[in-house]
Amino acid sequence: MPADSMTKPDTTTNSADATPAAAAAPTPSPDVLRRWLRDMMLIREFEVRCMQAYQNKLAGGFLHVYNGQEAIAVGCVAAMRPDDPIVTAYRDHGHALARGMSPEVGMAELFGRIGGCAKGKGGSMHFFDVDHHMYGGHGIVGAQIPLGAGLAFATKYRQEVMEGTRSSRVTMAFMGDGALNQGAVHEAMNLAAVLDLPVIFIVENNLYAMGTAIERCTAAGAHITERAKAFDMDSAVIEAMDVLDVYRDMKPIVERCRETSRPCFVEMRCYRFKGHSMSDPRKYRTHEEEERWETHDPIERLAAHLVDQDQLTGEAFKAMGKEVRAEIRAAVKAAEASPPPGLDELYHDVYTDTWGPYTGTSVPPFMRRRSSDRGPQDV
Amino acid sequence: MSEISFRDALRDAMSEEMRRDDRVFLVGEEVAQYDGAYKVSKGMLEEFGPKRIIDMPISESGFAGMGIGAAMMGLRPIVEFMSWSFSLVAADPILNNAPKMLYMSGGQLGCPIVFRGNDGAGGQLGSTHSWCVESLYANVPGLKMVIPAFPADAKGLLTASIRDDNPVFCLESERMLSLTGDVPEGEHVVPIGKAAIVRPGTDCTVVAFGRAVHFVLEAAAELEKSGLSVEVIDGRSIKPLDIDTIAASVRRTNCCVVVDQSWSFASVGSEVAAEIHRVCFDDLDNHVHRVHSDDVPAPYAWNLEQEMLPNARKICEAVRSVTYTA
Amino acid sequence: MPIEITMPRLSDTMEKGTIIKWHVAEGDEVTAGDVLADVETDKATMEMQAFDDGNVTHIAVDEGQAVDVGTVVAVLAEEDEEVPPPAAAAPPTEATEPATAAEPATAAEPAPARSSSQRKVTPVARRLAESHGVDLSTLEGSGPGGRIVKRDVLTAAAAGDEMRAAVPPSAAATAPPAEPAPVVVDQSTMPVPATPVHPSQPAPLAASDRREPVSSMRQTIARRLVESKQEIPHYQVSMVMEMDAIVELRKQLNGELSEQGVKLSVNDLLVRACAIAMHRNPLMNASWDGDAIIYHSEVNIGVAVALPESRGGGLVVPVIRGADTKSLRAISAETRALSEKARTRGLSVEDMEGATFTISNLGMFGVDAFTAIINPPNSAILAVGACLQKPVVRAGELTVGWEMNATLSNDHRVVDGATAARWLGTLKELIEHPAGILV
Repeated sequence: MPADSMTKPDTTTNSADATPAAAAAPTPSPDVLRRWLRDMMLIREFEVRCMQAYQNKLAGGFLHVYNGQEAIAVGCVAAMRPDDPIVTAYRDHGHALARGMSPEVGMAELFGRIGGCAKGKGGSMHFFDVDHHMYGGHGIVGAQIPLGAGLAFATKYRQEVMEGTRSSRVTMAFMGDGALNQGAVHEAMNLAAVLDLPVIFIVENNLYAMGTAIERCTAAGAHITERAKAFDMDSAVIEAMDVLDVYRDMKPIVERCRETSRPCFVEMRCYRFKGHSMSDPRKYRTHEEEERWETHDPIERLAAHLVDQDQLTGEAFKAMGKEVRAEIRAAVKAAEASPPPGLDELYHDVYTDTWGPYTGTSVPPFMRRRSSDRGPQDV
Repeated sequence: MSEISFRDALRDAMSEEMRRDDRVFLVGEEVAQYDGAYKVSKGMLEEFGPKRIIDMPISESGFAGMGIGAAMMGLRPIVEFMSWSFSLVAADPILNNAPKMLYMSGGQLGCPIVFRGNDGAGGQLGSTHSWCVESLYANVPGLKMVIPAFPADAKGLLTASIRDDNPVFCLESERMLSLTGDVPEGEHVVPIGKAAIVRPGTDCTVVAFGRAVHFVLEAAAELEKSGLSVEVIDGRSIKPLDIDTIAASVRRTNCCVVVDQSWSFASVGSEVAAEIHRVCFDDLDNHVHRVHSDDVPAPYAWNLEQEMLPNARKICEAVRSVTYTA
Repeated sequence: MPIEITMPRLSDTMEKGTIIKWHVAEGDEVTAGDVLADVETDKATMEMQAFDDGNVTHIAVDEGQAVDVGTVVAVLAEEDEEVPPPAAAAPPTEATEPATAAEPATAAEPAPARSSSQRKVTPVARRLAESHGVDLSTLEGSGPGGRIVKRDVLTAAAAGDEMRAAVPPSAAATAPPAEPAPVVVDQSTMPVPATPVHPSQPAPLAASDRREPVSSMRQTIARRLVESKQEIPHYQVSMVMEMDAIVELRKQLNGELSEQGVKLSVNDLLVRACAIAMHRNPLMNASWDGDAIIYHSEVNIGVAVALPESRGGGLVVPVIRGADTKSLRAISAETRALSEKARTRGLSVEDMEGATFTISNLGMFGVDAFTAIINPPNSAILAVGACLQKPVVRAGELTVGWEMNATLSNDHRVVDGATAARWLGTLKELIEHPAGILV
């Protein structure tokens, strides 16, 4: 299906025999919905200021922003338990923030400062927050998917082999539609199906693999969930520009996965408002297409819904915007105030132990605050 | 102490660690039901069951990555490659993920994983199956690499590898799996990064790694007949490299030959040679000589394969040359 | 507070940007996300967007104009003072930053050319030469292309060590006193006027060092000692000898003979004793000859003599021929005459030819004991230490007595240990019961 022909979003589940083990998701309270709105706005504002910082050379390397896809990170995280692990690709700011990483820590990482989540050694594409069970942004397309299978293997192994209990944690492994053609993704899906791993493979199908439209690079790109059938795996398609849809559809999938320890494959239909990275002029798509999708902005959509339901006033929305802007502005200031890593950090964390020029691992400051007595492996 | 095979020593290391630490498990092709493609894991399925001894599809990239994901959660996977030659399709996870996880996460999580399998020419397997990966992989920061040559070290180094908090590549050789030797019973740990002098001598230091140590011992016996006393050092670990032990020996003998199964260009052998030249410059009576596999794809024919390897004849020639006794 | 809009960096490699087209004019109202202009970067033409709401009060860069990233291209007047100043915090300093970073490192001075010769020397050989004081320029390298390797230096050092042990630097300077007692050392020398062995090569010198070409005699000494030490399988046997009797005898004889102008030295007595010992043990009086041993019929005793500095130093070995058949008086006279000649006019070739055994005595320097290098074609040399008073045990009682240490170096090709021991035992017997040397 060509991108231009995407019409009214609707939700389908293409697996007729999927066992709906969990009851339908309870309707979230207005408080919860307002929090989701704020979370999405925080991600959006974070990304806008990332772009600005990048253009002002405060951030280096590559920058891939999440504008337009916020409903997926926020909705998926809402549908899982706080200790369910997630792993994603390089467009990872939204997932980290949705999981609870402080904007200041993320922004400092982006700026290459010691206050960053990886003390400035990972950068935009490699946000890790193990305390919040966020196992990274990963820079190589598709490489994180076998890791996701491994996280699921580990949660299951820990519970079944080491604790003698039932497997009850679910892993979400996020990828873009471009990753669908990487061998590692297929290998991981096969493994997950063969080993009954509780992992949900989530394709954020924003219609473009970098600058190449899905129909130009992915066979049967309009029906990617068909691929799940090859692995005898349940699948679902979710119209992902609305966080309510994402949450409503993901919740039973997560619970079914938790219950059955069977992997699942989900296509999130969405749109990337910005280019692939900051140097992308987006000549491969039309302004009309972009404008049409912008009318489905997940933030405006949820705001409109809340206003409709008398659960949010225009003033409150505006105030929320101001509050979010202030929070991100403070994060930028704090990140700018954080010093660059000392040169000794160059040699930290190469090995856990001391060897040669390397001086072993050191826990980043923000983790030290929260869990000073914990080694890096005791997760 | 009992005399057992290299193969059994590897299995003892894995089994003993699995009894001791339930975070340890083994994945790989044919490791479970088939009892191991090379019988290294024989009997382990029976003892530990299918949740800890797990057959993998022929899917190195997938299961290497899965192992890494499990290690990120604090488990201690042992990932067996039937041959390190097959690890090339898993290059991204084993080189781009495992050794960098600690650094990229700023110390939040590491990757305590062991990759192990057969390295080097087996016997007439041809070029695709005869990889020596040590030089290729040792270039990468963040990983450790061990390469035992004797059954006791096979047990001790693999045990240390499993207990290490960093990714460790353990390079074995199917040509040595049936080699027997005295191996301590019960807990036996050989620290990673410590070389061993396996034959003392006075005229020339010869450093080798893995199977090549046996080529060197053969050469040393031959050279002794002509009055040359060769000190043979088994490097045991490639990364970290125990340059101290090697240098101490070179300071006594004033000359050195390095024997490395991999190809010569930008290799473990060239690294050792460069280090010796750096730390022993004023002690050298000749430049360090190197013996490698010839710079050709591994051939099939038996005679060609034997000629390609860093065999005893080439080592003897190098020792005579480096000691000016050619 | 006005918001400065700067030329954005729109790619990871972008340094400059060109405003292709302005989509806004001064006075326009913009909201965040609006496209302000099209900017041509090094990679593509990109949109420059507004991050804040406001009114365009100033456009600073014309269409078609290229400016550095960070340069202010427009200014917005803020409608809401709460909006933070844009991170125009990054002024166009980027031009200076890389410049500092790229500051060229000071070129290293080329290392001073090595003053040493073009000879190839391995690092360890060079280091050992330094610590053993071996002059590399005198060595012939045995490695490929004449490279000097460890064994070359060690060989030379071994020879040099013997030389130093045998001839203290002061030996020549403090040359023998009027006392004719032939001092000196092992060494030989056949023809004193010898042709130079090696042309010297310049060696590296420190400013305060002095380089002095050696005499032909010194070169001969060097060559013959190296040959001896390299070729002859040396071993040593030592004995301590009681000297009370011989000291007493010498005192007695000198007392009786002083009127006749005869003054015997201990060395004269030693020459005589050695000659008799040689006569009794003829296996010692021999030379190695490749595939045979030559047993000499004559007993010719060489006596090493140090030369005075005025004669260029060094040492010579005059020979007392048929010493086993000569009286003490004759030996003493001949030794004295040869020493005198050596110190004044120099010895002839005949004076130094034909020794079958050599005595080297360093006793007068207070040397207790030492080993000497054999003087080819001899197969033995006796190294004699000082005759000293020591606490000794005689007949089970501790008393004071005279003792001397004698060390015999032997050529194992010719003389086995038991033979050497027997010979030394004979000498000890003669010295401790010196009546035998009188007859």
